[in-house]
Amino acid sequence: MYQKILIANRGEIAVRIIRACRELGIATVAVCSEADREALHAQLADERICIGPPRAAESYLNMEQVLSAALVSGAQAVHPGFGFLSENTKFARMCQQCGIDFIGPSPESIEKMGDKSQARQTMIAAGVPVIPGMEEATEDAQEAEAFADQIGYPVMIKASAGGGGKGMREAASKEVFAELFAVAQQEAIQSFGDGRMYVEKFLGGAHHIEFQILGDKNGNVIQLGDRDCTIQRRHQKMIEETPSAFLKEETRRKMGRAAVCAAKAAGYFSAGTVEFLVDDEQNFYFMEMNTRIQVEHPVTEAVTGVDLVKQMILISAGYPLSYRQAEVHFSGHAIECRISAEDPEHNFFPCAGKITGLYLPGGNGIRVDTALYQGYTVPPFYDSMLAKVIVHAPTRDEAIWKMRSALGELVIEGITTNADFQYELVGSREFAKADMNAINKILEEKVKGERL
Amino acid sequence: MLRDKFKRPAVTEAENTGREEQRAGKENWQEILPQVPDGMFRKCGSCKKILYEKDVRDNWYCCPKCGTGFRIDPLTRIRMTADVHSFQEWDADLCGGNPLDFPEYEEKLEQLRAKTGLADAVLTGTAAIRGIPVAIGAMSADFLMGSMGWAVGERLTRLIERAETEALPVILFCCSGGARMQEGIVSLMQMAKISQALQRYSEHGGLYIPVLTDPTMGGVTASFAMLGDVILAEPGAMIGFAGARVIRQTIGQKLPEGFQSAEFLQKHGFIDRIVKRDQMRGTLSFLLRSSG
Repeated sequence: MYQKILIANRGEIAVRIIRACRELGIATVAVCSEADREALHAQLADERICIGPPRAAESYLNMEQVLSAALVSGAQAVHPGFGFLSENTKFARMCQQCGIDFIGPSPESIEKMGDKSQARQTMIAAGVPVIPGMEEATEDAQEAEAFADQIGYPVMIKASAGGGGKGMREAASKEVFAELFAVAQQEAIQSFGDGRMYVEKFLGGAHHIEFQILGDKNGNVIQLGDRDCTIQRRHQKMIEETPSAFLKEETRRKMGRAAVCAAKAAGYFSAGTVEFLVDDEQNFYFMEMNTRIQVEHPVTEAVTGVDLVKQMILISAGYPLSYRQAEVHFSGHAIECRISAEDPEHNFFPCAGKITGLYLPGGNGIRVDTALYQGYTVPPFYDSMLAKVIVHAPTRDEAIWKMRSALGELVIEGITTNADFQYELVGSREFAKADMNAINKILEEKVKGERL
Repeated sequence: MLRDKFKRPAVTEAENTGREEQRAGKENWQEILPQVPDGMFRKCGSCKKILYEKDVRDNWYCCPKCGTGFRIDPLTRIRMTADVHSFQEWDADLCGGNPLDFPEYEEKLEQLRAKTGLADAVLTGTAAIRGIPVAIGAMSADFLMGSMGWAVGERLTRLIERAETEALPVILFCCSGGARMQEGIVSLMQMAKISQALQRYSEHGGLYIPVLTDPTMGGVTASFAMLGDVILAEPGAMIGFAGARVIRQTIGQKLPEGFQSAEFLQKHGFIDRIVKRDQMRGTLSFLLRSSG
């Protein structure tokens, strides 16, 4: 088992990983930028190494610096969290070269699944249903448009190297295709340095349902249930829950099997998520696979009792999976609300500032994952997520009540947050009825004057 | 400070991997570094940042952060410039002697030959650049700082003479500290020898393009480096004759900003164009095609 792990991340996920290490008796090394010296993760870890100026590109994304920190501190493994370097094949290989374990899948799996169009091909070969779309990526707008004409509009234009909603545009008709393709391609080149694009059929109003999988280095893979992440603003998730109120048991079973199949086809070990789109007729299609721990992992932990981060560490150290599929039991319903430093009244504009008042809810079935503390100043350089409030209750209705109660107790003063907005959303009739599309419409209307 | 208030649970006892002792004292952390495979990282001489070797290689051996070019060995230089598998070496075994009986000179040469795999400080031969055959040479900074002695002079002269016979353009990547001290007057004579060969070559209509790389100094600058029909240079290359310190001490004045840089020389009309490494092949190809 490792003695020391370096956490190559910040914010609440870094705190989450540090906590898992503390519980396993593993020493922790935090890396921080100059802006994050007083951040919770830097204070909680046993050691702290400053790796650069505030800008992520010069600190958290600086592979040489992070690797140097690992080497100098004597860490045997690096946990990359999510975002930043978590799906960076080059970084994973660099760690390998230096004899440091990258706590995640193999660089080959990351590469295979990171290239979206290659991932589709792997899935097709494995017999996993995929969204009807182009076989291979292209940089040619005309080729893409010809394909779109063939499968029929509306279509989704996507970047092969894409993720996080970037490099994606929905084209409703032939008239707008060329312009949207150009915009999406430009965004792809800027964000990922890769202009290869592909086109898929757009499934309007489809449900975004993902399955958590865990694999070990011996080739065993289990699935830990689904998460419904349909509620999104501009492809950013806001509320996640498990199990999905929309999915029928039969579909759930099939999807679970497909997810395990997908993971095995990718030669996958560690924690990962297989994302699907499900249409109104319960037809499901592989969308993409995320080769990292995800923001919304706590809802799965709530209903299964499995500590996913600890499992990642154990798997990386060479231990077999702690559970067989038959030993995974699901209990109750869990919901997560993401609390961000965004102003819903002003186009969800991100805010920074000092936390002058903080009260976090607690109690039976309530979990808060956050890096906030009284007097903390939220820096403006990073993503705006402040906290995740997770509730777990025997039924969905009870979970909603619990979330309302928890959000009602939550106090964050000093910066503008979306907490009140989430409070209203969770208490809405639409949410009670699990009408996710209606909620997404509300979110769209909230954002004024948006253009694609 | 929260940090001081947190309690830290005990860390699990290690199986003795030996690394525990290594990490015990702060002075010992350097012993951990050998885990990094040799050559995986290097430091940029200009911006001082630590770089992943593969990134440097993929970026034309230039620093991915600040763009400064690293010095490259002649074979890599030729491979980067010429068409794949097109290079054929000429005069591979040409070695010089020790005309002045300079002490330990022959031993030094042997060591360098073993270390670099080169017979002396220049690699010459023929290659093709986008299909156009050329006579090509590249000098080695690793071999006594690219200094020019009899072997370099003779090899370059033969390159030029053969190029004349076979009607090939001459491309020469210059990199040198100057004439080779250990061979005295014989080294200086090479300046005249090569210059004469170039003169004849030019009279017979040959196209000669020197590319000045960092550094190009002394007798090389005072001879063949500056005799090109079109003179190219790499960004930031140091190009001059006498060393800056010698000049400063001799004239007793402060030297201008950027003195002896390729950019300074271009501004003052000594070189025709500064070409970045990723554009070198294209530029050479253009010049070769334009001159027919």
